[in-house]
Amino acid sequence: MSRAWLAVLAAVVVLPLTVRHAIATEIWIFAIFGLGLNLLLGYTGLLSFGQSTFFGSAAYVAGYLLKQYAINVFVALAIGVVVGAVSAALVGYLCVQRSGLYFIMLTFALNQMFYFIAYQWTTVTGGEDGMPGIGRPALLGVDFRNPLAYYVFVAALFLLSLWIMKRIVESPLGKILQAIRENDVRAEAVGYDVPSFKLLAFIIGGGFSGLAGVLYAMLFGIVPLEAIGFVFSGNVVFATLIGGSGSLYGPIIGSFVFIWLSESVSVVWERWPLLLGVAFVIVVLFFRGGCVEAWARFWSWRERRRALEGIAQ
Amino acid sequence: MALLQTETLTKAFGALTAVNGVTLEVQAGTLHSIIGPNGAGKTTLFNLLTGQFPPTSGRIVFDGRDITGTPAHRIAHLGLARSFQRTNVFPALSLLDNAWIAAFARGRSWRGLVWRRSDGYAEVAERARAALADVGLADKADQPAREISHGEQRQLELAIALAAAPRVLLLDEPAAGLSPDEMQKMVALVRGLKGRYTIVLIEHKMDIIMGVSDRVSVMHFGSLIAEGTPAEIQRNPEVRRAYLGGMVAE
Repeated sequence: MSRAWLAVLAAVVVLPLTVRHAIATEIWIFAIFGLGLNLLLGYTGLLSFGQSTFFGSAAYVAGYLLKQYAINVFVALAIGVVVGAVSAALVGYLCVQRSGLYFIMLTFALNQMFYFIAYQWTTVTGGEDGMPGIGRPALLGVDFRNPLAYYVFVAALFLLSLWIMKRIVESPLGKILQAIRENDVRAEAVGYDVPSFKLLAFIIGGGFSGLAGVLYAMLFGIVPLEAIGFVFSGNVVFATLIGGSGSLYGPIIGSFVFIWLSESVSVVWERWPLLLGVAFVIVVLFFRGGCVEAWARFWSWRERRRALEGIAQ
Repeated sequence: MALLQTETLTKAFGALTAVNGVTLEVQAGTLHSIIGPNGAGKTTLFNLLTGQFPPTSGRIVFDGRDITGTPAHRIAHLGLARSFQRTNVFPALSLLDNAWIAAFARGRSWRGLVWRRSDGYAEVAERARAALADVGLADKADQPAREISHGEQRQLELAIALAAAPRVLLLDEPAAGLSPDEMQKMVALVRGLKGRYTIVLIEHKMDIIMGVSDRVSVMHFGSLIAEGTPAEIQRNPEVRRAYLGGMVAE
């Protein structure tokens, strides 16, 4: 097992001891959301500004079924993954026809479209008030209304998601997506149907977003309208960039920083987004690879200093 | 029999006819060069052959099969691989991965695409390594492509094409932008590939062409103006005019 996995496992154990369970849970949910985005952003080089479309759609559909029919938790999660993937297939199909700025604007515009459907369809979604009353049905005698039990459940699903994403990025698909990011013309010329591969990345990312959406709905017992809004889409991009989009683990660090700031610091200081803005500027100007790169540079700097000291002695 | 042929192939961009009624036959196992001054339409011809865009009219036949209008990624699967005039590699990927990507695309099966570990495809990795060895980059396999020299990137460009195990290799000015030393190396490289592959080579430097080619076609303003052995081409008055005098009033 690698050091990164040990660090993640340690974080899973330590986190609920240091922050409120709800915040700890939210961190892993947001990390799953970030993993899905990063397959697009970090690996394929596609900046999707519409990830909350899939997150929110899954949260609404599975949340509605949980509320009305108290369906099994795993069924709800499976439905969330499918809704996330299908909505991503629809949106992705339209978006991959274009590239660059047009691509970004399409993801954004379609996100807005879904947002206004949710906004208008008040009988189901509750519009601006959100969709409250979503329960956490017990599973095999475990009562998920207990915050710690739900935390363990979410953390386990996060680890499973991370493992699945690791397999995907280490598969030929992972390499092909990176090749598309590096040079889509050459990727096409050597024999890859670039739009289809981009669409596949969208669908997989959508599945992860959907899973995160359902877990989010169950965590707070409500699907707020913001869950399908563009600010939410922006947040996950933000968090992933701060963490480091070049690495599999970047979005996890990003999620930690983002949720911790927004849930803990916001209580003390309501202007907390200012900190986030500063962090973002620093990342963009000095550490394009986010926290992951900053960390790597710190270590290589230390190594060099040690080597120099060794020479001096 | 011709492995690759075109019939009155034409491509017009608005008022500009970049390729004009080109009929060409490339025999299997030969090295067929296409020469001509800059802007003669050589690269556009390559773009047509590899499906970068469809021709305005005419046909392309590969191994008896009409491939006119087939998209680029499918043409690659049929075994037409090209190198680019301007270096066109995957900068952040290692040299091995650069070749691996091309080798995998042409692999027998894509089973395990999403789930199998990419280092588990022994045959693909072997072909990628062989391609790097062919161009003399085997010892740099683990370096990222953006960190090697321009000359080496030109070699890598060739390795990516070779890794696809092509039936026809289309080389677009492989020596473009190289120093005299590097150019010698590249010419030797291409000479080494001759006989192993059917090669179509674009070049505008006469001296490179004449030593290695079996056949030479000359393009000028989008049309073929001559075809023959290197010796025949060198004697051809029309070719001399195109090269030396540009447009001569007659």
